[in-house]
Amino acid sequence: MKKTQIILLGVIAIMIGVLLVTLEDASVYATFEIADKQKPEAVTVVAKLDLDSPIHFDPTTSLLTFNAIDKEGHSREVIYNQPKPLDFERSEEITLTGHSVSEGFIATEILMKCPSKYTNEEGIDTLGIYTQNI
Amino acid sequence: MDYIGEHSLFAFLGRASVAMAFAGAIATVFFYGLYFIGSKKNSEKSSGLKSAGRLSFGAHSLGVLGTIIILFVALFNHWFEFDYVWRHSSLDMPMKYIASCFWEGQEGSFLLWTTWHVILGWVLIGTSKKWEFGTMMLLAMVQVFLVSMILGIYIGDFKIGSSPFILIRELPENIGLPWTEIRDYLIRLPSLRDGQGLNPLLQNYWMVIHPPTLFLGFASVTIPFLFAITGILEKKYYEWVVPALPWTFFGISILGTGVLMGGAWAYEALSFGGFWAWDPVENSSLVPWLTLVAAGHLMMIVKHKKSAPATALFLTILSFILVLYSTFLTRSGILGETSVHAFVDLGLNGQLIAFLGFFSIGSLLIYLLAWKKYPKSPSEDAFSSREFWMFIGSLTLLLSAAQITFSTSIPVLNKLIGPDGLLPVLNNPMAPPVDAAKHFNSLQIPFALIITALLAFGPFLRWKETPKKLITRLLPSVIITLVISVLSIWGLKLYDPLYAALLAVSIFGLISNADYWLRIVRGRWTTGGMALAHIGFTLVLIGAVISNGKKEAISTNATYIHEDFPSNENILLPLNDTVSMYPYYISWRNERKEGHNRVFDIEFYETEKPSTWNDFERQELKPVFTLHPFIQMNDRMGNVREPSTMHFWNKDIYTYISYADLRPLDEKNGDWADPMEAILESGEEVFLFNKYLLYCDTLNVQNASINEISGEIEHLDLNLDLILKSMDGRQTAVVLPYHLDGNEAHTSEVIIEEEGMKLRFDGVASAEGKFNITAWEKKDNEPPFVLMQAFIFPYINLLWLGSILMGLGTLLAVWKRVYRAINESKK
Repeated sequence: MKKTQIILLGVIAIMIGVLLVTLEDASVYATFEIADKQKPEAVTVVAKLDLDSPIHFDPTTSLLTFNAIDKEGHSREVIYNQPKPLDFERSEEITLTGHSVSEGFIATEILMKCPSKYTNEEGIDTLGIYTQNI
Repeated sequence: MDYIGEHSLFAFLGRASVAMAFAGAIATVFFYGLYFIGSKKNSEKSSGLKSAGRLSFGAHSLGVLGTIIILFVALFNHWFEFDYVWRHSSLDMPMKYIASCFWEGQEGSFLLWTTWHVILGWVLIGTSKKWEFGTMMLLAMVQVFLVSMILGIYIGDFKIGSSPFILIRELPENIGLPWTEIRDYLIRLPSLRDGQGLNPLLQNYWMVIHPPTLFLGFASVTIPFLFAITGILEKKYYEWVVPALPWTFFGISILGTGVLMGGAWAYEALSFGGFWAWDPVENSSLVPWLTLVAAGHLMMIVKHKKSAPATALFLTILSFILVLYSTFLTRSGILGETSVHAFVDLGLNGQLIAFLGFFSIGSLLIYLLAWKKYPKSPSEDAFSSREFWMFIGSLTLLLSAAQITFSTSIPVLNKLIGPDGLLPVLNNPMAPPVDAAKHFNSLQIPFALIITALLAFGPFLRWKETPKKLITRLLPSVIITLVISVLSIWGLKLYDPLYAALLAVSIFGLISNADYWLRIVRGRWTTGGMALAHIGFTLVLIGAVISNGKKEAISTNATYIHEDFPSNENILLPLNDTVSMYPYYISWRNERKEGHNRVFDIEFYETEKPSTWNDFERQELKPVFTLHPFIQMNDRMGNVREPSTMHFWNKDIYTYISYADLRPLDEKNGDWADPMEAILESGEEVFLFNKYLLYCDTLNVQNASINEISGEIEHLDLNLDLILKSMDGRQTAVVLPYHLDGNEAHTSEVIIEEEGMKLRFDGVASAEGKFNITAWEKKDNEPPFVLMQAFIFPYINLLWLGSILMGLGTLLAVWKRVYRAINESKK
């Protein structure tokens, strides 16, 4: 065999290996139900913060507990051992990475999507004009 | 209709400039393109076409220039009737950040990119000689697509581009609204008096210099691509590398610097906890750099050995396609859930896909159709030749780029084969790896090991074949490396095998390149570019390995919660308490407002080293430095925590506030909390908050009047006399008023300051002869505190030093080629 062919084979082999490792490392977007089935495997859950139930943050242990509702409407208690993110209550959507345990869901990372972080979707406030017009 | 105070003339001029830039680009493509049709030998015809092409490009350049000037004028003068100005700037913004406003939005950053292409285009016209027709035609094609992104016209319902000159009243969502019909709407609409402001994350000097550098890098990736395609079209399969090489090294230098500047910004202004987070946006600008480095090395092989140009062509084309792909990823909104700093979706996805599709499919077609015509290598590369190992290195770079691209493209894969995708293969959408750093490090460090090893011994090899005795020249470097590596791994206690290996190999690369340059070629400046760039690269790796591998969280919270939660990295700082945070003692001294920022002053103390036991007993704290981590408060865009870092020559102390009570300062002390209801009758006592007894004495009717006709109470004033008894025997008499006016009850709260209690008489309870009372306790003086994270990044300065050397080295490599070209043309 020629050297170029050997190199080519090597490259393809590494490529496939890397691809498999990447697929292995990738998690899935799941719901809490899937997370329960797959525990203790880590998953990513896109959810909403449940503002009706209490959000508790204990600064001495920096433990945050709250309830989140996933896309199928299931609610779960989430425990996050990090300081409460800024503007947590204002988040529109939260992406939780972590795993299920029998008591709830342990998040290792929380990404928040805030409605106003980059754009103001409300647009122009035109209330002023009407009151001044009258 | 004439609107009062509106700068509609400028809006018109702006749009006209964009239109001129667009038309100019199309004309440039047309005139330069005509050259390729029919006979090319006719020099008379070609010189006419050349002038026409240059003239069109001039018109295009004027259009772009006009667009920039008008946009800047609008930003400087705060013309908030322009949607772009309103969205990206505000009155209270420091002028120095106006430039950041300019490129905060997609429109502005496209414009920035376009501008660099214009400048580089004129350099091409001045220097490329016979390559001008092909390269300028292709460059103008890129410009057509770029300018179309800011056209802002509608064809039917299809929107082409998003204009930075659109007025707010012209936005589709506002058209037809009543206020757009008012002549003086600018005066009447209070919300138009100030803009939305710049994202606080971008109010940082890095954001003034990082985007232009990065886009100059992107623009300089375009130029080698132009030469590659022109080379294929004109069948100059070898010759294209000569003009393309200096551009490639220029691109490597600028793009590399731009990417690392992004890292510096993340380190300075974001609380990621590091300079690199493997964020999709960072990744997608790193990938074209990797392939461009590979392309540059392959071009050198083609130039020196006249070997097969197919891979060099491929990687050059691929680098440009990857720039476009990166543009697509960051601007289409597809990264949405996975990245913290992607652009906002502007609804240009169709156009972005067309841009990416046109150039990737088009150039790959041109590349593949000419496949059979590419010259083959005359012979196999020898094992001991420089080109063989350079080729392996380039392939490794390509593999590394492929891996990063694949992992970063998971959101794209979801769109293609996810459950809601075009071809639903997956049951559940894929998510990025849970621990991105671990994932990328485990795969990328092996690639980095190979690449660094190759750049360590590569320079010692010769083209074609290396005599065996020349290889022994490596011996001194190997020996020195062994000694230094063992010492530094042992000294740093860096025992992670991958990190330790990468450190050793990087040290090898550093020493062998320095040795080669200074000893073997005696510091010849033409070799200096290569050596410096390699040394810089290895220093970047050494800095990254040590600062990451030995990154140490010194803020720890030792409270044990559960085995699932390892003690975490947030230290609790009560105000004015001195807390031990090894090797320092720290104290949170003060909280103050500074503009939009809430600044926290953290004082660091050291103890003097005790020499005797007596000293140990009486050791004193002496202040060493103060850090000022802050939280940028922004109602509209959310609050951002920003780190504060103490730089030493050999380490950084990096801190940020991870949690703080962000209520206004004056609101913070004292809060009425835990309302408690009590029902009692005269002579009864009730326990309050486990601290007090509340005794109900009598109810006094002060004033009463009864409506004589209906017999209902018209007016009633009641006073309830109570006695509040504290545990230590203090007694306080309290009178709670209650006032009834017709059917309306008025209650008022009575505060007993010295007891920290608030009471309210709510009226007569439903039970006979009982009264309802609500009590609050003052939850004050819960001592204020913040949570902070602090890290030591050892030797991170090596990384910054390395980036500077790498940038300078590659620029020296550019200068070497330019210098030679000038000298050759003189001969």
